[in-house]
Amino acid sequence: MGIELLGRLVRNMVARPLTVSFPTESIPIPDGYRGEHRFDADKCISCGLCASICPNKAIELVEAPPDRREEYPKRYPRIDLRKCCFCALCQDICPVGALTLTKNVFLSTFDPAGAVRPPFPDRSE
Amino acid sequence: MNKREMISSEETEYELFFGPAHPGSGNFSVRLKVDGERVVSGRADPGYLHRGFEKLMEYRLPIQNAVLSDRICVFEALNWNLLHAEAVEELLGIEVPRRAQYIRVMMAELSRIQSHIVWYGVFSIALGFETGFKIAFAYRDYVLDLFEMITGGRVYPAGYICPGGVRRDLPEGAEERILAALEKVDEMLAWEETGAPFFPERTKGVGVLSLEDAIRLGATGPVLRASGMKADVRKDDPYEVYDEFDFDVPVLTDGDAYSRYRIGLAEIAESVKIVRQAVANLPEGDFIHPSLAKPGVKVQLPEGEVYVRNEVARGEGAMHLVGNGGTNPYRVKIRGPSLLHMIPVLEHLLVGASVADVPAIYWSLNICPADMDR
Repeated sequence: MGIELLGRLVRNMVARPLTVSFPTESIPIPDGYRGEHRFDADKCISCGLCASICPNKAIELVEAPPDRREEYPKRYPRIDLRKCCFCALCQDICPVGALTLTKNVFLSTFDPAGAVRPPFPDRSE
Repeated sequence: MNKREMISSEETEYELFFGPAHPGSGNFSVRLKVDGERVVSGRADPGYLHRGFEKLMEYRLPIQNAVLSDRICVFEALNWNLLHAEAVEELLGIEVPRRAQYIRVMMAELSRIQSHIVWYGVFSIALGFETGFKIAFAYRDYVLDLFEMITGGRVYPAGYICPGGVRRDLPEGAEERILAALEKVDEMLAWEETGAPFFPERTKGVGVLSLEDAIRLGATGPVLRASGMKADVRKDDPYEVYDEFDFDVPVLTDGDAYSRYRIGLAEIAESVKIVRQAVANLPEGDFIHPSLAKPGVKVQLPEGEVYVRNEVARGEGAMHLVGNGGTNPYRVKIRGPSLLHMIPVLEHLLVGASVADVPAIYWSLNICPADMDR
C-alpha cells in the first residue's frame, strides 16, 4: 500500500478543498428546496387544508389585520416556524398554489416571536 | 468507594460509564463492570432518545406518518420511508407505478450507501483514525447533494417515499448527477483501500460473534452476514423491484469487527451496482398512484393488519400496521434492527473484552440509538 498511498497524498496536496468558505461563497441551493414559506394572499381561498395536513400543527388560520379586513375578509394561514418541520405538505395540498416553499434557509433568530410568520407581514396584527 | 477504601479493599472491580456523553457513543450508554483492563460485564442502558413514534403514529394520517418515519433513523431516513409506505400500500391494496418503484429502489440504495459511509466514518473515529472520519463525511455530502436536489432536504426527505409512490418526479438532469456522485463513492472506496493499515490490527479477532450466537441473539443484516449467514431480505423475500437487479450479498465467516467493517464496504459497492442498473433501466410513466397524487386527508385505512419487512442499512426492519377503518392507523409496531444489536449482541460481545476494544466492538455493530429507542 505504501507507494500508492504516497501518490494519493501528493495528489491530495494539490487538489481543491472539498469545502467552500461559507460567508463569501456557498454551494448553490437547488430548485425545489424546502425552505421558508411564501404566502400569496390574493390566491388563497381559505380552505384550511394546509392547517389540517400540517403534521406539527404549525399553521393556524387567522384574520387579516383590521385595516385590510375589507379587502381580505376571510381567514389566512399564520405559520409558526418554530413548529414547522419543512415537509412541504402544505405546498403539495394547496389547491391554488398560494403557499410555496422558497430557498431561504437563513431562519435562525434570537427573537422567538419573530419566527411566527403572519399572513400579512407588512402590518402586524 | 473513596480512594483510600479502594486501595485497601480486596475488591478490584469497578464500574465505568461508556456514554451517554462519550464522544463515541451517541445517545446511548453502556455501564461496564471492569476488572483492571478487562470488561467483566456490560449492561446496555438505552432510552436517551425515546420519542414515542409508535404512539404518535396512531394520531396521524398516513401521509403525516410518512414525514414522521424519517426520524426513526436519521442516517437511513429513506429506507424507513419506504418501509412505512409499503405497509400502508399493502393495507390499502395499491399497486405502485413501475417508475416510482425504480426511483424508490434507487433512493433506498443511495440511503444505504450514505448510511454505510457514516458507519465507516464513526467506526474510524472510534478507533482514533480521524482522517477516515473526515473522508467519509466529505464524500457523504455528494450523496446528500443528490437528496437535496431530489427530495428538497439534505438529511430529512420529509416522506419523499410516500404511500402510493414518491412525492416528486426526478428533476431535470438527475440521472447524470446520480452517476457523477457514484463516481465519487467509488473514489472514497479506493481511498479506503489504500490507507489505514491499523484497521485490521485494531479490529481483527475483536468482538467475535459466532454464527450460533448471532442467530440466538437475533442479529440481522451486516452483523449476521459477517458471521457467515447469507440472509438478506432483498434476496430472500424481494420487495419493490429488487428481483430485477443483479447484485451479490457479501458474506464473511470470521464474525469479528474487521469482517463487519469489510461487509459494510462491500455492501457500498453492491449498492452502487444497484443504483447504476436502476438509472440505466428507469422506465417512463407516473411517479405516484393517481388516487394518492394529492396528499389525502381522507384516505381510509381498511380494517386489517399487515406485517412488512425490508432490508434497511442496519439489518432487518419491519412494520406491523393495523387499520380499523379510520383515517389513522389503529396500531403501529416498528421492529428496528438496532435494538437487538445494541442490547443482547453488544452485552454478549463485551464480556471479556479489553476496555480499549469497547469502541471497536460498539461501532462495528453499526448501531443507531435513534432507531433503537424510537
